[in-house]
Amino acid sequence: MNMKTLGNLIINGVGSSNGGSFEKVGLNGKGTVNSDIECKRFHCNGTATIHGNVKTEKGKISGAAKIHGAVKAESFVINGSADISEAVSCQNLEVAGRSTIGGSVKCEVIVVNGKVTIEGDCEAEVFRAEGTFSVDGLLNAETIDIKLFGDSKAKEIGGRKIKVTQHRETLLKLIKSIFPLKLEADLIEGDDIELEGTAALVVRGKNVKIGKNCEIGLVEYSGVYECAAEAEVKELRKI
Amino acid sequence: MSDELISKKEVLDLTGISYGQLYRWKRKSLIPEDWFVRKSTFTGQETFFPKEKILERVDKIQKMKDSLSLDELADLFSLNASNLKLTKESLIAKGIASEPVMNIFLETQEELNEFNYHEILKLYILSILLESGDIHIEEGKMLLQLLSDHQSILQQPKAVICFIRKLGMSSCLISVNGEQVLLEKGTKVAATLSLEHCAEELKSKLV
Repeated sequence: MNMKTLGNLIINGVGSSNGGSFEKVGLNGKGTVNSDIECKRFHCNGTATIHGNVKTEKGKISGAAKIHGAVKAESFVINGSADISEAVSCQNLEVAGRSTIGGSVKCEVIVVNGKVTIEGDCEAEVFRAEGTFSVDGLLNAETIDIKLFGDSKAKEIGGRKIKVTQHRETLLKLIKSIFPLKLEADLIEGDDIELEGTAALVVRGKNVKIGKNCEIGLVEYSGVYECAAEAEVKELRKI
Repeated sequence: MSDELISKKEVLDLTGISYGQLYRWKRKSLIPEDWFVRKSTFTGQETFFPKEKILERVDKIQKMKDSLSLDELADLFSLNASNLKLTKESLIAKGIASEPVMNIFLETQEELNEFNYHEILKLYILSILLESGDIHIEEGKMLLQLLSDHQSILQQPKAVICFIRKLGMSSCLISVNGEQVLLEKGTKVAATLSLEHCAEELKSKLV
């Protein structure tokens, strides 16, 4: 970005813009942007449609946004609802609302508290989920920490430390015990794996700990293996 | 190059790396996406790798990871590297090109004090081919012309450079995706060179 100060793009009400470079972009009513935006701050509080890519340092979507393009940001927070059609890459991504990402996601830290659907792969150093997620490709992170609050799934999960825990709540305990929450995956591979409430075809790792409510087709391990009594493991192999 | 595949499990067994490391390297793009070959087996889908390439790559990473950070390594393996600038003298000192090759290279260029990555790669390709005796000086100049006309080819990992000769006439061509090239009977292939291989060799010399 050049040194001269850039203007702001603020839409309060119904309006449209052709995009460009700005200091601050605020879309508060029903805003439409017809091409790429580059800005320092990006705020969307109303309904926004962007036909282009968004590049920003700090972005926040509190309303409903549709981005027909890719997002690149230092930090990006989604509290409302967001539909992003292409890839997302940022340092910190936080999804507290609902979001659908059409491409793949590449971040340092991803925190999911709401619901996120990723149609591509998801790569991060730290992936923390306390909500529902679905990854159609590979979920790859150094540390994966999942607290199950809703049915989640990923085609493949790979990383160093993978931990899945079932949330313990008293109020809905009864219903939850009949329909326990599940994480579904075809394949889980990692160095240290701790699972609860997981249904997977294959789990491979060094140290594997299978907890309650798990249904695993095949476990392959090379170090320490532990299995809770309530878990179902069809086949076990030590390598 | 053989197309033999090796399963992920075998890679881990042979090299002693862990799943965590493998996935970390994948994330850092130290292992290219298209090496991950998915195949269905009786246990479901499994991932396979091209055997020679993956073992060589893992070996390289293991050797170099103590002296370089993973990000630096990623730069090293990706083909469109860096804001590299080197002088003629340091290139000769690093053994990327000998003095005569350097002079041939400089003849075809305007005055050049510092070499950027693309120029170094061109120089290195020229140097390999000339030093091996597979091509002669005029062919070398032809090659440089071809590479300068299609600069972007230098970022194509799969590109392969071929020199062909027939009845004393020579020509060179680049196959962008490294596909097989079929030749008429009287034509002889004088030299082939994979760009990816070249770039990796170059980079290990630059470090």
